[in-house]
Amino acid sequence: MTPKFEPSELRQTILRMAHAGSSVHIACAFSLVEILAVLYRSHLRLGPEPNNPDRDYLVLSKGHGVMAQYACMHELGWLTNADLDNYFADGTHLKGLSDAHVPGLEVSSGSLGHGLSVGVGLALAAHRRGTGQRCFAVVGDGEMNEGAIWEALLFASHFRLGNLTVIVDANGFQAMGRTDEVLSLGRIADKLGAFGLDVREVDGHNEAALDTAIRAAITGPADRPKAIVARTVKGKGVSFMEGDNRWHYTRLTGETHARAVRELAAA
Amino acid sequence: MRDAFSAAVVRAARADDRVLLLTGDHGYSLFDAIRREFPDRFLNGGVAEQNLVGVAAGLAKGGFRPIVYGLSAFIPIRVLEQIKIDVCYEDLPVVFIGDGAGFVYSHLGTSHQCTEDVAALRAMPGLVILSPADAAETSACLALALSLNRPVYVRLGKADLGAVHASPPDVRLGGLCPVRTGDGPLAWIGTGAAVSTALAASGRWPGSSVWSAPCLKPLDEDAIAEVCRRHRAVVVVEEHSVYGGLGGAVAEIAGKRAPTWVCRVGVRDRFSRACGTYSYLLREHGLDAESVVARVEEFLRQMPAGVMPATYTARAA
Repeated sequence: MTPKFEPSELRQTILRMAHAGSSVHIACAFSLVEILAVLYRSHLRLGPEPNNPDRDYLVLSKGHGVMAQYACMHELGWLTNADLDNYFADGTHLKGLSDAHVPGLEVSSGSLGHGLSVGVGLALAAHRRGTGQRCFAVVGDGEMNEGAIWEALLFASHFRLGNLTVIVDANGFQAMGRTDEVLSLGRIADKLGAFGLDVREVDGHNEAALDTAIRAAITGPADRPKAIVARTVKGKGVSFMEGDNRWHYTRLTGETHARAVRELAAA
Repeated sequence: MRDAFSAAVVRAARADDRVLLLTGDHGYSLFDAIRREFPDRFLNGGVAEQNLVGVAAGLAKGGFRPIVYGLSAFIPIRVLEQIKIDVCYEDLPVVFIGDGAGFVYSHLGTSHQCTEDVAALRAMPGLVILSPADAAETSACLALALSLNRPVYVRLGKADLGAVHASPPDVRLGGLCPVRTGDGPLAWIGTGAAVSTALAASGRWPGSSVWSAPCLKPLDEDAIAEVCRRHRAVVVVEEHSVYGGLGGAVAEIAGKRAPTWVCRVGVRDRFSRACGTYSYLLREHGLDAESVVARVEEFLRQMPAGVMPATYTARAA
């Protein structure tokens, strides 16, 4: 069966894991579901198994959203139902942040500001070898507080990494509050443009818009890295999580789990 | 030693087209040779070391063999977390070169001096730490580093103190290199530039054996235990903090395998106070040969009677 990467189903998979593991970071995963869905469904050339040497790279620099990627890997058949239901059980391998030892995840992130640089290195390696591989790096807007992100952007532009697309999951929040209130990024798209990237800004929950933007990034100027600022809602998909930053940290109860599943199933 | 390093990089690039040299805007003129012969194998990532290490990790994952060059004050100290997560956690074949270790940049002050790198890195799982004493060890260390297919840090200190080995040393993972044989009561183990100091200071006690430790991690426990057993005390000299360096590593092995007296001669938990030449700063830190002799004499005086010959523990006239 061809995986559909249907967003409300992906979110239900995330809830299933989060409930099984009593995990935090649900809202962080919900904001990037459509971004990953469109990438996995239409753009990433991965091959049938993880770690195909010719694959495109999906680098989740914003490691806190890893459950969204697990949900996509489950659709690919790379994770089993047991993997979901045993999330965080003793001796299991799926951690609460992206971990490169898991086949299908490219980087160990979660300490923020690391993954983009590794993605830049992967893009550079592909560029030097002329393999045609593309690298899509998903960063959080909160993560963009880190200086290393801006070092990586400078480098990507200077070395003309046209095979790199940086996608900002701009959900407007970070751990302790609104990004505008914690450490304002101002106009992200303008900053990225000033760093030499070819920038687009889209509604990060509109799959058609994301698809168009990613397609444009792939076919855009070969000598410039691309950026897509995806305007998203933290906690998207469940009414009582949307825009409520407590769901960065809050764990599901039986009751909140049931309510959230009901909402998503009805969507 | 810098020439040896430069030549070794060129040899490595010739031998393996996956080798790339990355720098964070350091090493002016050091890389002329590789830039001449392989201009596209040299990348200056700018004054942005954190990104540079992440990029090196990505390049290694993408099939390359990056050598990341910087001053030891920055590579590894500024980028410890990148070394830990991006490189060591995945056991990637990245070679880090930390140049100017110790007090090489004596006139520039604390920002450019580095006596904490080994301590910071010893606890990084899987990371190999090399610390050559002269040009021959430098060439051998770089060849060893590139042959290991795993993360390696090469510590380069004061470069122009001359050769400590009469014949090419046999640098192996974990192994010690003999510098002077002797069956007296004292054994000396030095690393990097401090091997020359150990050699000079040990002359005060004829019969001392002197070893160079070009590999600080792993350390061959059998080799260290053997040195401990053959002598009554071991003096370890390093241009690094007394905490977490070679002295500590030798004491750990001695404690487990061959309990003995270990005199750790290094930087005594402080920064440099003043500006001056390299020799001046060594004196300030008690790490020139004359000061090392005094420190070892003091150590010997504090030993209980009977461990050492009376001539070793007597107060100097």
